[in-house]
Amino acid sequence: MTNWLQLALLAAALWGIVGLLQKLGSNRINASSLLIWVTVGYLLAIPLFWKGAGLETLSSKALLLGVLAGSVNGVGTWLLFAAFESGAKASVAVPLTALYPLVTVALAYFFLSERLDGLQWFGVFLAICAGGMLSYETDH
Amino acid sequence: MPKWLWLSLMSMLWWGVWGFLVKLGTALMNPQAMQILFVCGMLPPVILALWQAGFRVQRDARGVLYGILNGLLASFGMLAFYAAMTYGKASIVGPVTALFPLFTVAGAVLFLKEKLNKVQAMGIVVALAALAIFSRG
Repeated sequence: MTNWLQLALLAAALWGIVGLLQKLGSNRINASSLLIWVTVGYLLAIPLFWKGAGLETLSSKALLLGVLAGSVNGVGTWLLFAAFESGAKASVAVPLTALYPLVTVALAYFFLSERLDGLQWFGVFLAICAGGMLSYETDH
Repeated sequence: MPKWLWLSLMSMLWWGVWGFLVKLGTALMNPQAMQILFVCGMLPPVILALWQAGFRVQRDARGVLYGILNGLLASFGMLAFYAAMTYGKASIVGPVTALFPLFTVAGAVLFLKEKLNKVQAMGIVVALAALAIFSRG
């Protein structure tokens, strides 16, 4: 197994545990409260990463790009919140948003000229379908 | 189109753009720097979302603990994601990391005694097939 795939699976495993904690947390507190405490967790982790981050060496372009990535992700979260406020069912909205790699793949194809072989494209297709299917939960 | 569907699609779009920006960012900085900047950028829209939701802060001890642990673990997940993006193609790393519900579903069955529905069970098979393809090297 290649190094990047191990790292990607590690990320998926950690985010998978995060999904479990979300389930447990949302049984105790409402979604907006949970988001507040999750954000506190993000902030608490920052000192652990500060040493060696080398922020002072980064160009303004890099700084802007990093902050923009966070903002774009935050807007995605905000929109999902708004979708729920507008009556979206979790069983539909969550699998739908799980298809977000479709957009990443398209952008990487057109702007980074990433090219995959036929089998890899099939793997991407299967992975994106699986992400949507795994996120499907029947409403209780 | 119903408003909720439009909002859900827009959420999907923005998260997809996020994956792309991460790929660009990892070429310019290390994962730790990426995560610190990510949190700085994420705060304003999240605060706005919370403001719209009325800023109701519940303080159930276990709920708070789960939330904070969630943020801490998600941060380390982000580091692994950025590192994977540094070495791999965004077209593959994006879809593979988006398989995280595979681990959530497995944990929910093992530890929370939840039952799999048919769609999720099929999803596991499809996810494993995708991983088998990517692991061929």
